[in-house]
Amino acid sequence: MEKISDALLYERVRGKDKDALEELYDRYEKMLFSYLCKMTGDRDLAEEALQEVFVKVWRGVGSYDESKGKFVAWLVTMSRNAAVDLIRKQKKPSVPLDEIAEVESTDSSVEETAEWQEKSEQIHQAVRHLSEEQQKMVHLFYFKGYTHETIAEKCGIPLGTVKSRIRLALKKLKTSLQMVQEGGVLDDKREL
Amino acid sequence: MTNVNCDQLIDYLNGALNEQEQKQFEAHLAECPECREIVDATGELPYLADPVAPNPGMKARILDAVFDEEGQPAPLAEERPTRNKPAPPATMAKRGFRTSKWTPLVAAALLVSLLGNAYAFYELSDQPDAPAAPEVAFETVDLQASEAFEGTGTAALVHEEGALNLLVQANQLEPTSGEQVYQVWLLKDGQPIPTGAFTPSQENEGAVFFSLNEDTEGWDTIAVTLEPNRGNTAPQGEVVLSAAIDPEA
Repeated sequence: MEKISDALLYERVRGKDKDALEELYDRYEKMLFSYLCKMTGDRDLAEEALQEVFVKVWRGVGSYDESKGKFVAWLVTMSRNAAVDLIRKQKKPSVPLDEIAEVESTDSSVEETAEWQEKSEQIHQAVRHLSEEQQKMVHLFYFKGYTHETIAEKCGIPLGTVKSRIRLALKKLKTSLQMVQEGGVLDDKREL
Repeated sequence: MTNVNCDQLIDYLNGALNEQEQKQFEAHLAECPECREIVDATGELPYLADPVAPNPGMKARILDAVFDEEGQPAPLAEERPTRNKPAPPATMAKRGFRTSKWTPLVAAALLVSLLGNAYAFYELSDQPDAPAAPEVAFETVDLQASEAFEGTGTAALVHEEGALNLLVQANQLEPTSGEQVYQVWLLKDGQPIPTGAFTPSQENEGAVFFSLNEDTEGWDTIAVTLEPNRGNTAPQGEVVLSAAIDPEA
């Protein structure tokens, strides 16, 4: 059976279809929660951020349509920003992630785990093609919960430079990810 | 291609644009495949994290908050899961929960209706040629009041095709004060999950209806506690009513 697209489910959510929201939640719970845990270093904070994201989706705060790119990317942006706000409110320093990274227990299905592994390999491979500086930008922006202002401050580089570096890093990430996805294995030495 | 709008991409991702800028950038996004592809790539970044199992009961808490708080402008700070509490069993994580609150009268009617359905099924199944019907089992129990508690209550449990419908109603309840609620729990081996809360009516009656979509647990006890506030994931207050139930039902 063909899976209903995220965009279509989102349309239904706008029509207050609770089952559609639950379906979207099920699709992205683990992915977003894992990401938020890594970012906040705190399971409770990650849950709170995830809740805010789905409350916003349900209430139609910042509506989505396909002209804004993929639905999942829109969710990731909302998740990141919800977590950044919560971290800021708590003035909570990010903790070393190894302390909380309680790796998946046995309750996920084989397909689910396989899909995660495939996606994970692809993105890891794509990231390896970024320069160290670019990897750092992505890490600080997406996994440390730093705003670009904070990155500018911490790295001692002008704000404008930070923005263009993050943009460049993400642009290169996009290109390398596309090549990984389309071409299977990417030659590690090839310059993009 | 880079233009002024493309430069706003990072501000957009950072949620740093004002409403008008945001609209303008979204219009740009619709026109600029490169910016859109960059945004799309960010959707894969979470897979850099190690997979983490959801918190026990998280889905129920989040969906309850999403649907229950509808229309309330207040942000979610008070919904924050309380820290340092013993976590309920991990098997709860993937279940779908729905609660709804009913007035005692509606609840009573519903109870009759649930029992009626189950009864009709048993009547049917007495016939030798009755077609195979979905598996339905029901159980009603009188809840026993703890010492010094004046109230009484009953619980009806209807198991149907793997789902559990639970209806609890109670009478002669002591009024609650402040944030207090009567909270219903199902327990297995002493591990509770919250299954709905209520506050008594002016007639000191209360009821709650709760559905568990996929029930495989084999609960052995039902209990009602008087909690200091709504939303606890483990009991903090005293048990006021309780009964053993048949895990095989």
